[in-house]
Amino acid sequence: MHELSIMAQLLDTVEAEARRAGASRVRSVNLVVGERTSFVDDALLFYFDTLTAGRLSEGARLHIRRTPMRFHCAACDEAYRPGTAHFRCPRCGQPGQLSSDGNELLIESMEIDI
Amino acid sequence: MTNYAGLGAAHGIQNVKVVKSLLANNDLVAAENRARLDAAGVLAINLMASPGAGKTSLISRLVGAVGTARLGVIEGDLAGSIDTEKVLAAGAADAVQINTGGTCHLEASMIRQALDSLDLAALDLLVIENVGNLICPTHWALGEHLKLCVLSTAEGHDKPLKYPEIFAVSDVIVVNKIDLIELVDFERPRFYELVRALNPQAPIFELSCRTGEGIADFGFWILGQWKNVL
Repeated sequence: MHELSIMAQLLDTVEAEARRAGASRVRSVNLVVGERTSFVDDALLFYFDTLTAGRLSEGARLHIRRTPMRFHCAACDEAYRPGTAHFRCPRCGQPGQLSSDGNELLIESMEIDI
Repeated sequence: MTNYAGLGAAHGIQNVKVVKSLLANNDLVAAENRARLDAAGVLAINLMASPGAGKTSLISRLVGAVGTARLGVIEGDLAGSIDTEKVLAAGAADAVQINTGGTCHLEASMIRQALDSLDLAALDLLVIENVGNLICPTHWALGEHLKLCVLSTAEGHDKPLKYPEIFAVSDVIVVNKIDLIELVDFERPRFYELVRALNPQAPIFELSCRTGEGIADFGFWILGQWKNVL
């Protein structure tokens, strides 16, 4: 459900940037969405298609690059993906610390027709 | 930050670098809300939890645990005004209801509107009760000073494993219904290990809104945070 609200905001930004650059049409929009944000690709794509109707970005492709959530083990000095039952380091078994990876929620770039 | 790559081309396809947060608009409004709260010396707390964790009960208890500090409440709910009535009956100085009409979280623009109908000069603390949900509210800044996550023991010690982000972003964590801990097999060491991997600093308060255990310490800590914004 929160994908609807985020897509509405995304499109306001995309349309404003496209107009500022003098675009006649937006061809594609590139996002970076981290795993920690819990946004679901299918829902983002669905709302994007729904909300772009009649706007500069109608028919544009939405590309989503996902970044994973990671922890860091101080003892091994290594990044790792969490397991399903705990957040411990898979190598030494000690609890690590969440890193800032996977927290992205960005419009990276877009392709427009001038 | 915006810069246009290849701006020289008059026609054709252009690649435009944007690099903006999807939440840029919300964050702007949140910053405005925050400035209003700061100017009024009001500490705002964004209270997030599952349905039934005890959000409204905690607010009702907190009213009595902050001494003479005047506590206002913004109640975010899908519909209805029952929670507003409850916190006013408990002694809250003021309360505003936001019905989100099905939206799963509060956004900064909703708080801006709610602030318009509160007399901030007559408040010291403002608790914003978010919609009961552990996922959606985590990314929307409202202008709050503190994010507070409430978990009840009955929900289980593995909640941070399933919903890591809310524990990662919270400034303070409350474990409610601590009086039930023996009955519901809540494994305290497992819970602390999971939370500390996500969030090494946030203070964790164990309390019971039913018995009142632990409420005084929590209220005292909140008052300390309020002194920081004055």
